Amino acid sequence: MKESGAEENRLRKWLEEEEEARRIRREMADWDYINKQPPRIREALKYYIETGDIRRASKLAGLEIEEFREMLRKARIPIIV
Amino acid sequence: MSVERQFAIADTCFLIDWARYRDRDLLFKIFNAVFVPESVLREIKSEATVSWVASKLAENRLALYTETEDELEEARRLIEMSRRNPRIPSIDLPEAVCLSIGRRRGYIVLTENKGAIMASELLEGYRSVTVWRALEILLAVHLAGEVEVNCNNPIKRFMEYQEDTLHIFPHRDLIEVKHRIERIRCRGE
Repeated sequence: MKESGAEENRLRKWLEEEEEARRIRREMADWDYINKQPPRIREALKYYIETGDIRRASKLAGLEIEEFREMLRKARIPIIV
Repeated sequence: MSVERQFAIADTCFLIDWARYRDRDLLFKIFNAVFVPESVLREIKSEATVSWVASKLAENRLALYTETEDELEEARRLIEMSRRNPRIPSIDLPEAVCLSIGRRRGYIVLTENKGAIMASELLEGYRSVTVWRALEILLAVHLAGEVEVNCNNPIKRFMEYQEDTLHIFPHRDLIEVKHRIERIRCRGE
């Protein structure tokens, strides 16, 4: 019971941090740059902004993880961890 | 924060950001060796990252880690466990391998992958694994007295890391780090 409560607290903390991170990613992103990208890249960048999941986002983009990380920098989307 | 453990193992997300940091060699002030699994090495592609990794492998500061079949099998099981929990962002083989090796060998796992960090906090059997982000590495370097601290701006190096990498530390964590450095390095408490 105690363990499950601690786990819930950790999850709650993560969810709060992720909500804050999502807000910052949306605010800092260069939307002009994002909207000029080919559809697959554009949607992957938006997916990353909403989820912070770089693995799935890079697969959506069809890019290697390091290439996608570079794409995030060009789009001014920060990694918040 | 203890720096008694002399070995770490780094995943892709950590290396590709850390390699862009102006003071990236600070890493070796706190670790004798940082292992890079073969599955991580295969994901590193950019000239800048490959060049840094190659030079540090040549200096024996980074070391190549060849995963055993048992470690790979454990990593695959870990991926399955993480997929059963929809609240954990996806993890793939490279970071799962690091968690598996971290658990088995007591190495500190260096990662910026949210899925890997959450897995270490939430998945049974992995809570004993120590996982550090760049934030904890920089803090350890400060607390160990390996860098001078400007007490007017104790988090200068953290801000430089953010500038170099476009990787932002959570505000709450940054404030906590600032207070710890002030307390220990500036006021000597």
